[in-house]
Amino acid sequence: MIPRTRRGHAGVYLTLVGLLAASLVLSAAVGAFTFTPARIATLTAQLLGWVPAAPADALDRNVFIQLRLPRVLLAGLTGAVLGVSGTLMQGLFRNPIVEPGLVGTSAGAAFGAAIVFVFGAGTFTRPLGTLAVPVLAFAGAFAATMIVYRLSTAFGKVHVFTLLLAGIAVNAVCGAGTGFLSYIARDPQARNITFWNLGTFTTADWRGVTLVAICFVVCFGWSLRAGKALNALMLGEEEAAYLGIDPRRLVMQLLVANTLMVAVATAMVGVIAFVGLVIPHVLRMLKSSDYTFLLPASALLGAVTMEIIDVVARLIIPPAELPIGIITAVVGAPVFLAILLRQTRQGGAWLQG
Amino acid sequence: MVAGLTTMVEVEHVSYAVGRARILHDVSVRFQPRKLNVLLGPNGAGKSTLLKIATGLLTPTAGLVRYMLPQGARALDTFPVDALARTRAVLSQHVEVAFPLAVEDVVLMGRYPHYGRTPTARDLEIVAAALDLVGMTDFRGRVYPTLSGGEQQKVQLARVLAQIWNEGESPRGQKCLFLDEPTSNLDVHYQLHLLEIARGLRDVDCTVIAVLHDLNMALQHGDAFFLLDGGRVVLETEDATTIPRDLLERVFRVRADRAVDSETGESFWRFRL
Repeated sequence: MIPRTRRGHAGVYLTLVGLLAASLVLSAAVGAFTFTPARIATLTAQLLGWVPAAPADALDRNVFIQLRLPRVLLAGLTGAVLGVSGTLMQGLFRNPIVEPGLVGTSAGAAFGAAIVFVFGAGTFTRPLGTLAVPVLAFAGAFAATMIVYRLSTAFGKVHVFTLLLAGIAVNAVCGAGTGFLSYIARDPQARNITFWNLGTFTTADWRGVTLVAICFVVCFGWSLRAGKALNALMLGEEEAAYLGIDPRRLVMQLLVANTLMVAVATAMVGVIAFVGLVIPHVLRMLKSSDYTFLLPASALLGAVTMEIIDVVARLIIPPAELPIGIITAVVGAPVFLAILLRQTRQGGAWLQG
Repeated sequence: MVAGLTTMVEVEHVSYAVGRARILHDVSVRFQPRKLNVLLGPNGAGKSTLLKIATGLLTPTAGLVRYMLPQGARALDTFPVDALARTRAVLSQHVEVAFPLAVEDVVLMGRYPHYGRTPTARDLEIVAAALDLVGMTDFRGRVYPTLSGGEQQKVQLARVLAQIWNEGESPRGQKCLFLDEPTSNLDVHYQLHLLEIARGLRDVDCTVIAVLHDLNMALQHGDAFFLLDGGRVVLETEDATTIPRDLLERVFRVRADRAVDSETGESFWRFRL
C-alpha cells in the first residue's frame, strides 16, 4: 500500500530518467563537431567493444571519447552533485533558500583550489600529489560551511538573517582570497582562475569524471539513507531527537558528505551558483517536500538541467563558449528573489526560524 | 505482569546545572503508570527541565532516570535511542515547519522509529487512526503550515500518538506520553479536547506526564500531582483537595481562595495578587 502523498513519485522518476537520456544524447550531439544519434550509438558501441573499432572512425572516435564524452558526463555529474547538495543543505539548514553558493561551500572550495593553482605542485601540496586540488578545495569548503552553520544555528534554531549575513561575509572573505591569488598569479593561471570562477566544462577529462563520479556515488549513496531523518529534522532538532535521531551526528555526517562532493566537483569545473537552489525548489512545487523523494529526484533533475545549460553555453556565441555560471545566475537569481518575496509575503514565520 | 508495577518512569536524585545556575536540586519522583501525572509550579521552577531529562533529551548533571518496562527496568543512558523512541513520545508547545508538508506526512513521521525504508500497511492504518482520534481526518491532505495553531497542535498530537500507538499489539507494551505545556497556545475547546484524549490513553497502557500551566484545569483532570518550586519537589499527592492553600499561595506568590461551583458542586481555586 502506498500513502496517498507518495503516489505519482514513480511517474516523476520515469519522466526524469527519460529526460536525462534525451539530454545526454542531445549534449553528446551538439558542438563544434556534430554527432548524429546514430553516430553516437556506433561510437559508443565501439568504445564498449560491442562492435570492432573501424579505422575510418579514428578521428571522430578520438574527439568523441577524449573531448565530448567526458564533458557530457562531467556536466551531468556536476548537475547531480549540485542538485543533491542543494536538497541536503536546505534540509540541514531547514530553509528553502540555502544552497552551496549561498553558505560559502563553493567559494571556500574555489579558494582552496586556487591556492593549489597559484602556488603549484612543487610547494607544500607536493605530498598530496594530483589530489592536491580536491583536498584543498574540500578543506576550504568545509571550513566555510562550518562557520556559517555554527553561526546560524545557535540554540538549536536556524536564524535566517544570521545565515544570510554569515554567508555574505564568508563568501566575501573567500572571494577576496581568490581575487588576491589571481592578482599575484602569472598570466595564464590568472586567466584560468577567472574563467573557472564562472564555471566551465571545457577542461573535462576522464580523470576528473572518475573523481567526481566516485565522490558522487559514495556521498549520494550515504545521503540517501538520511531521507527520513531529514524529514524529521523539518520539525526541529528537539522533535527529531524525540523520534530517535541524533541531530548533531546527522548534521555532521551530511555536512561532510555534502561538502566532499561539492568541493570535488567545484575543483573540477569551478563555481556554479543557483543550481542547488532551483532544483529542489522546482521539485517541491511539482510534487512534495519529502526528502526520500527529493534526494533521488534532485540528482536526476540536476543532471538534466546541467546538460541543457551546457548545450546552451556551447551554442549561444559560437565558436566561443559562455561560462556556465553566467547562465545559471541569469536563470537562478530571479528564482531566488521570487522565493524570498513569496516567503516574506506569507508572513515570514520561517524568517525567525 | 505489568499490573504489579507502581512506577513507570523513575527519576532518582536528579540534579541539573547550566554553568553556575542550578536548575534542579536532587529531585526524585516516581511517575505512576496508566495515570495522568501533572507537573505543576511557577515559571522557572524547573518543570520543563525535569520533563526534558525524563524524556532523555537532556542528560542530568547527577542522578538517573529509569523506565520500568515489563521486561525490566531500563536506565536512560543504556536505552538505545530508537527503542526509546518506540516507548515514549513528546508533544511540545508548538512545532513550526518552513516547508509545505502534507498533514499525513507529518503524522507518518511518528512511525519513523518503527519502519525502515517504506511504511507498512499497519503504519498507514495507525496514521489514519491517529488522525481520526484527534478529529483531523478531513485535514489529512492539507498543507501543514497553512493550518491554524490549534489545528497544527492536533496534527502534532496525532503524530506523537502514532509514535507510541498501542492497540492491536500483543502483548501491549508500556508506553509513555510527555506533554510540555501542550495547551498554552490553544483555546479552551482545544485544551479540553487534548486533555480528554490524554486521559483516554490511560486505558491503553499509556502513562501521561504533563507540564500544565492552568492550575484548575490541571487539578480537575490530573491523577497525580507533583509541585515544583525552585528546582525542588515540594509536594506530591494524588488527591487534588489535599493541596494546602498556604503552599499554593507561597509557591505561586498569589492569594488563593477555594470556591465551589454552584452548578456542579466541584471546588476550584480563585487566584488574585
